[in-house]
Amino acid sequence: MTHLLSHLASVALAASPPAEGAARAAAPVLGRVVEGPWTAVLIPGLPLLAAVLVALCAAGRVRSKLPAWITVGCLAGAFAAAVQTYLAVVHQPGLAQGVRVLEWIHLSWGEKPGQSFAADFGLYLDSLTMLWMLFVTGLATLIALYASEYMAHDLGAGYNRFYFAFALFVFSMSCLVMGDNLILLYLGWEGVGLCSYLLIGYFYKKPSAVAAAKKAFIMNRIGDLGLALGIMLTFVQFGSVRYAEIFEAAAPYLTLAGEGRIGEIPLLIQLIPVLFTVGAFGKSAQLPLYVWLPDAMEGPTPVSALIHAATMVTAGVYLVARFLPLYQCSTWALPIVAWTGAGTALLAATIGMAQFDIKRIMAYSTVSQLGYMFAGLGVLTSAGAAYHVFTHAFFKATLFLGCGAVMHGFAGQLDLRKLSGVAFMKGWGIVGLAMLVGCLNLAGFPFTAGFFSKDMILAEAFASPTYQALGWVLLFTAGLTAYYTFRVFFRVFIGPKFYEPGDELHAHDDHGHGHGGAHGHGDGHGHAPAKAKATADAAHDFHPHAPGWAINVVMVLLTVGSILAAYPYLISWVPGLIDASSARVIEVAHGGEHAHGTFFGYDPHAVMYYVSAIVGAVGIIFAFVLHFVGRTGAATAKADALLPVFGPLARWAQNKWYVDEFYNFLVRVPLLVISHVLHLADKLLVDGLVDLAGFMPQAAGRGLRRQQTGALNGYAFGMVLGVGVIAAIGAVLLW
Amino acid sequence: MIEKIGALWPEIILFAAACIVMVVGLSPTAAVRRLCAPLAGAALIVAGIVAWFTTPAAHGPLPMLPLFGKTLVAGVGVLLALLLAGTPDREYESAIARGATGYDPIRANRAEFWAFFLFSLTGAMLCAGADDLIWLFLALELTSLPTYIMVAVSTGRNRSMEAAVKYFFLGALGAAVFLYGFTLLYGGTGTTRLFAPAGEPSIASILAAQAAGPGINAVAMTGLVLSFLGVCFKIAAVPMHFYTPDVYQGASSAVAGFLAFVPKAAGFFTILILAGAAGWWGSSPVDAGGSLPQPLHQIVLIVAILTMSVGNALAVVQSSAKRMLAYSSIAHSGYMLVGVVAGPGPANAPYTSNGVAAVLFYLLSYGVMNLGAFAVLASLERRRADGSADEADDVNDLKGLCATRPLLGWTLVLSVVGLLGLPPLLGFWAKLPLFTSAISSNEIGLVIVLGLNSAVAAYYYLRLASVALLESPELTNDTVRSSPFPARAVAGLASAVGIVLLAAWPLNQWAMQGGRYQRVEPLKAAEGTPPARVDAGAPAAR
Repeated sequence: MTHLLSHLASVALAASPPAEGAARAAAPVLGRVVEGPWTAVLIPGLPLLAAVLVALCAAGRVRSKLPAWITVGCLAGAFAAAVQTYLAVVHQPGLAQGVRVLEWIHLSWGEKPGQSFAADFGLYLDSLTMLWMLFVTGLATLIALYASEYMAHDLGAGYNRFYFAFALFVFSMSCLVMGDNLILLYLGWEGVGLCSYLLIGYFYKKPSAVAAAKKAFIMNRIGDLGLALGIMLTFVQFGSVRYAEIFEAAAPYLTLAGEGRIGEIPLLIQLIPVLFTVGAFGKSAQLPLYVWLPDAMEGPTPVSALIHAATMVTAGVYLVARFLPLYQCSTWALPIVAWTGAGTALLAATIGMAQFDIKRIMAYSTVSQLGYMFAGLGVLTSAGAAYHVFTHAFFKATLFLGCGAVMHGFAGQLDLRKLSGVAFMKGWGIVGLAMLVGCLNLAGFPFTAGFFSKDMILAEAFASPTYQALGWVLLFTAGLTAYYTFRVFFRVFIGPKFYEPGDELHAHDDHGHGHGGAHGHGDGHGHAPAKAKATADAAHDFHPHAPGWAINVVMVLLTVGSILAAYPYLISWVPGLIDASSARVIEVAHGGEHAHGTFFGYDPHAVMYYVSAIVGAVGIIFAFVLHFVGRTGAATAKADALLPVFGPLARWAQNKWYVDEFYNFLVRVPLLVISHVLHLADKLLVDGLVDLAGFMPQAAGRGLRRQQTGALNGYAFGMVLGVGVIAAIGAVLLW
Repeated sequence: MIEKIGALWPEIILFAAACIVMVVGLSPTAAVRRLCAPLAGAALIVAGIVAWFTTPAAHGPLPMLPLFGKTLVAGVGVLLALLLAGTPDREYESAIARGATGYDPIRANRAEFWAFFLFSLTGAMLCAGADDLIWLFLALELTSLPTYIMVAVSTGRNRSMEAAVKYFFLGALGAAVFLYGFTLLYGGTGTTRLFAPAGEPSIASILAAQAAGPGINAVAMTGLVLSFLGVCFKIAAVPMHFYTPDVYQGASSAVAGFLAFVPKAAGFFTILILAGAAGWWGSSPVDAGGSLPQPLHQIVLIVAILTMSVGNALAVVQSSAKRMLAYSSIAHSGYMLVGVVAGPGPANAPYTSNGVAAVLFYLLSYGVMNLGAFAVLASLERRRADGSADEADDVNDLKGLCATRPLLGWTLVLSVVGLLGLPPLLGFWAKLPLFTSAISSNEIGLVIVLGLNSAVAAYYYLRLASVALLESPELTNDTVRSSPFPARAVAGLASAVGIVLLAAWPLNQWAMQGGRYQRVEPLKAAEGTPPARVDAGAPAAR
């Protein structure tokens, strides 16, 4: 073990930073597409097939785990197809491959350029696409397997509904990532939004779940408006919505940007990426639209792991990476992306520090890590951002599924003040170990995947002379991240054994409203007693329900995946992929000496390993001292004594900086007032107009109706008169 | 002549089937009599398959129209056969079954009804393949004459008789108008042949020669205009639309559904053939595409605008579902005329610029969607005080249909929302090329009118949908019940499935093929035609 670690260390620390040092692959040929392998069609096709089959299961009222096996099988097939396609794509680096599935929309209203609109159901396969599809299909397969056990309490209609939306989500996500035009991307974008809505609101009898689903949907609408406007502007400016044609049309601007003459690019072109950014911020939960993601944890945990941590929320990162050529043509877009990302990372981390619900902490950490990814894109290390997406997908899925296992086993208990030493309980070892690996990754512990990917972003931020301050923000956030991550680990997973079951035992009284908790397992684990007993007694007879084989297998696989995700760093796998795709960063020529930021005079790429390792270790030590040392119960730790020191700050962070209330005050209250005013206006003015608009055809109809007397001779007269009048018009025209 | 027989096998099959049905339907045994409808359906399926494989005539401006038209008529005809199940002799047959009366072939109508049904479809098919004025006239009348009888016997009530009489007299008036037009067309060109192989005189090649030279002869142009206006009766376009609501309401819902499609299809085939003979002229005579010769272009345009506006305006104020659908059927004819105005566009125009393909695809879509709406009406009955049943007609009869009879309710919702043209259903993909083809031929004003009319149509279509979907059924109201003919519900279901699935099917490629337009070569002056009257109507030939 020591040998391996030292080997890793020598390789990692000696290796020059991948993005800069290694000889860069040849620049990708944007705008040219060669025929790709047909098997790529299976990647969206099999999940769609699964959705259809599960829908048939629902129609047939299947009450077994059949939908789960259908979905797992189809998704595994999609993963295999993704691997196969990946191999075909990297075989021709730098060249995008296209597969046209079917002709979809072809409109034209003239012969001139810009007078036609075409969007096929076609796939655009380059290394960026395949990087995304590999982890999307792979993780979806594993999480579908996990959910087969997790959702087992809801066998029947709910189970079918879950897997239908799950499979549909993977289909939509593959449309989003693999589409070769913006319309298909938008379809996928809305599709994943819909599936996210359906799955957040899965427990639709719970008002909070419904409210969360609505919130997610509305917040995403705001972002989607930006994306839609961006797509329209793209079409207006470039005359096409197909990637290949957009990149081709944008090439002259990219050349201008590369020569440092960015000011000569038309403003409307520069506006396109800004509009895309609005969409990306909505989907990827960035300031100011991030508030929906923590609430989205109302959905079943596998959904949180797949959609709201690993895949869907990275769609915004994908969008920016895909259109990086356009972003590099814009003066404002990248700074907006960078600073919003950093701000979100910091804000979400401070909130995460003060929460007690472990799933919410993970949600805030997702928002925070997404902020890192955007900051990475903003400081132009698309490789770092994409690698962080990749590693984050693994370790965050691990963390969520670990939290889900706890929730599943302790009747919905998620409060870190009511759980302790879970890893030492019988049957929980695997989950504990998985959580440890996940937390180490998230905290950026040396030689973990999360450590490497975060370093790439931090180093690039410090390396850029204009983003020094941003680098400090991210570095500080890294310390906070390490603290709140291990706060969870030290309090919940190790320490004295203690637990208090969650309130979902009540659910035995009313089996109708399901929840992602533990009720209803018919496998003799000594759950809550018979219904007749009071719920107060239930807690005494409660035994935690250790995870079964499906959950454990998936946890093991994901843990191994999280560890192995560090390996690609050593071979510069992701930078190679990114450089061969449209997300490649172009060199901007500076007049004269290339300005290069430093970290106290050192090359940031060389020292950042040590700096961030120290920062992460400090965070972990704080957590260790405050939440583990001397803790005898679950409820309190030394940290509580420190709360008064921070005064109102701690309370504010706990209350999420009152952002929801602020939005409520800033947006909802004025909107309510305005809507009441407008309602009046609507009643008086608009309804009047609508009535008038409806009245005119009606009046015309009533007038014309008099002609419809039913009398034969009247009709005949009308016909002859009509022919006469029209023939007369014809005669006048002819003459 | 004999080579024409080769292209007529579908019609021959239908004709033979009609003769068989006419005999079978008179059998004293009830079980044998019931074979009429299945026989008709089987004949249509065979005819459709045969039509699909017929080789079309190579000449004419729209060489693939016969293939498309015949297959379309046979295909929708199968669904119409399902819809019409149980229409003739309903009360008479039940009286026989009760033993209240014996079977008397003189009083029975079943044989005629189904034979006429097949004759009418034969006529529509013949229209699609017509290449001669006389043929075209006879085919149009063969389409219409049986429908008068079908209306008369459809319910056995007086209002059907009244409707049939009105329909007959007004139909005769319409026929007189286009017959007069045909006569003038003959007078202006000297031939009754519409299309002929290159080099032989035909109306198309003579009109092409006139248009390329001095301009179309005033007599021929009057003939074209009157022919068009007369055929407007068949498609229920202004000013020949007056009969529509009265006749639809007087007929049974199933027959009304038949009337809304078959004569309309025959009428549009005729209009396309006539317009093809007149030619869509580009900026120079050698260009294909462009617009119809003036003033025909203006007249079609005016009729299109009036037809959709009047149809929609009148549909808004109806409380009877059947009358509403009748007026909307008028409006749909107006929409389709937009495609005729737009024309096939330049050579090798894409599907979205080809107005003829748009008309053909719209005809198909309209046939499917309209069938669904009428099938729902035909599947519902309102019991009368004396115990007999009338078909549902009032919009209120449809209240809460989705809750009480989900299958019918959703069929209705899909049909009307499809007719409205909401994406992603069939109606949207049908209406879209009408818009785009009109835009590509620069008819912006027409497009605006079309858009406004689509919005007005939403008003009454959504009302039908919301009555069925959102309003709660009247619990005390048990007077509305399902009709005892499951075949009608099956027709509705087939149409609902079609509205969803055909939208995804690349049928537009088929319509594109059907709408392929080739310019007719002008006849050389030396080849002996009556001299073009240079003195009349020269300037407006473009």
